[in-house]
Amino acid sequence: MSSVNVSLTDARAVVTQYRNLAMSGVVLVGLVIFGATTIDGFWSLLNLRQNLVFASFLGIASIGQTLCALIGGLDLSIAFVIGAANIGIVKFFNLGWSSALAVLVILCAAAGVGALSGLISSRQRGQDLVVTLGVGTALLGLVQIAVSSGGNSGVSGGMIMGTVPKWITNLTSLDSAIGFAPSVVLWAVLAAITMLLLRRTWVGRGLYALGGNQTAAERVLIPRRWMWILVYAVSAVTAASAGILLLGFTGGGYAAVGNPYLFTTIAAVLIGGTSLVGGQGGYGLTMMGVLILTVLQTILSGYSLSYSAQEAIYGALIIPMVALYARSPHPRTLV
Amino acid sequence: MIASDAQLPQRAGRPHLSFGDVFAREKTLVTPGSLFIVLFVMAAIRGPHLLSSDGLAGALIGAGPLVIATMAITAIAIAGPAGVDLSVGPVMTFINIELVLKVPDPLRGPVAFFAIAIGIGIALQVAMATLVAVLRVSTVVVTLAVYLIVDGLNTVILPQPGGEAPSWLANWGAGSHVFSPVLYVLLATFALWALISRTTLFRNIRLMGANDRTAFVSGVRLIPTRLGAHAIAGIFVGIASIMYTGLIGSADPTAGQSFTLSTVTALVIGGASLAGGRARALGSVLGAVDMWLISYVLTTINFGLNASYWVQLTTGAVLVLALLAGGVLSDLAGLRQNRAQARAHI
Repeated sequence: MSSVNVSLTDARAVVTQYRNLAMSGVVLVGLVIFGATTIDGFWSLLNLRQNLVFASFLGIASIGQTLCALIGGLDLSIAFVIGAANIGIVKFFNLGWSSALAVLVILCAAAGVGALSGLISSRQRGQDLVVTLGVGTALLGLVQIAVSSGGNSGVSGGMIMGTVPKWITNLTSLDSAIGFAPSVVLWAVLAAITMLLLRRTWVGRGLYALGGNQTAAERVLIPRRWMWILVYAVSAVTAASAGILLLGFTGGGYAAVGNPYLFTTIAAVLIGGTSLVGGQGGYGLTMMGVLILTVLQTILSGYSLSYSAQEAIYGALIIPMVALYARSPHPRTLV
Repeated sequence: MIASDAQLPQRAGRPHLSFGDVFAREKTLVTPGSLFIVLFVMAAIRGPHLLSSDGLAGALIGAGPLVIATMAITAIAIAGPAGVDLSVGPVMTFINIELVLKVPDPLRGPVAFFAIAIGIGIALQVAMATLVAVLRVSTVVVTLAVYLIVDGLNTVILPQPGGEAPSWLANWGAGSHVFSPVLYVLLATFALWALISRTTLFRNIRLMGANDRTAFVSGVRLIPTRLGAHAIAGIFVGIASIMYTGLIGSADPTAGQSFTLSTVTALVIGGASLAGGRARALGSVLGAVDMWLISYVLTTINFGLNASYWVQLTTGAVLVLALLAGGVLSDLAGLRQNRAQARAHI
């Protein structure tokens, strides 16, 4: 590879990134205008603040999915980790643990499970999909067994009741001093940290390098296995955080609470414009994807479409978006 | 890369196979095969009813839909790269709903049912293949999008399980005798696969999955080949949904997600390489039967109210362990090859 070639690819990557940002921006603005003109109350501050709370759940859960996509992986365990954290922490509360300890234990356990997924996935390329699926399914089964064992505080139909500490409920409450729910602020802070880490640190640049060309990245001594472990651990921690926030929002543990996130996190990543092949994109794009999905959801609910119809429309959106900016090259250009 | 390209013409001509080649071909069967033996022994001890005539009949109709659906996505896995068909569950459910609710009375006979099911299967799969091949969007993305679209539509068309399959088909679910239409359909499906896998099209699909650049420079037309792979999958998805309709005797819009997850799990246990080019129907069939045996063995153990959680835990754990076992085996087998390749690179 000559240096000319490299700088050309570089320039192309930069152009791609801004083009994707611009395109998702256009889609978002278009949706907002459409919603504001056709739905009463769409433009109210209350609706805006409420939407941002929904966006913060998806946004935080999508941090991990974005990192996975950047190294060329996928995390299908997010939905299960959300559900496991959601009911697991209620069990800890019911056992009388202090809330801070319970949160800490849940996040650490999530990191451990994620690290395990990353370690196994890193063994062979292309297996992350099924590894995370297997680890996620097993985890949720295990946590449900653990939660329903011992005492009468068992799960019934995947639900578990308990008293949720006030501060966790307040995280998603709209009447806070700052005007926005604390979960939205938390999302903004986490987003800023993620983007800073991706842009300014050795680890962040290493993720892009690994996603762009695994062999080359290993030759410049980027530790592939540790990167995979780190990324999947972070993904599980962000998923578990979303699970805890969702508990604050709904007020009761529910094992299937994460199910909508199984594929919407991937949809957010794809619609934002991060490629699943790896090495291209970033969390800023995913945030656009999250906002697009949230606004779209409001519009579709405004037209009183069911969740199933919304799901179908998300799906129909993915193909044109990806076809616009994440097509793979024709083999003839690679020979 | 250079080394493997140099080997290709020799392999395509199928000269004698060395021991290493045979082991490399059969090693993918070690995991699903040994899992099958362990599970079968457990099943025979815990629930000897399985070995009776109606026990076997129940096994055929119980495992049948999963077995055939896994064969379907095997064709797509072979076509690679990262050829995981996530849409299989919702697509099968969609055909199930169409058959039970939408087909008018004069067309409710076996011939018309098979024609309609296979027709819908092929149409949907070819539509997906067109997006994959012409737009060049990856298989995972397209099938994920179709998963969401069709799964959403299913619940819109039919919010609750319901409807009634024609009696000739609903009788399949009773599973009281081994020598029933279920067995003949399964055997015919296997025979169909055996025929298809001997065609030139199928060999081209394998080559495309193993290395699409090599296939391209060898004159394989990539777009028709990919359409062909998905059309094959469509045939088997159609048959699988007929068998599924026979199993439940009605229409169920909620089965999509879990069916996709079990099918992909069975595929991976069966030793398919998701990188493309390498997957065997025998492995996939064993993987699917393994999945059914796991649930059979678990039903013989009394977990009380927690049964479904135990099924979840065991399925997930078996999936991960099967992957690990497969990985260790291929590490062992590939060690020598990798070293030789590394030397060629230097």
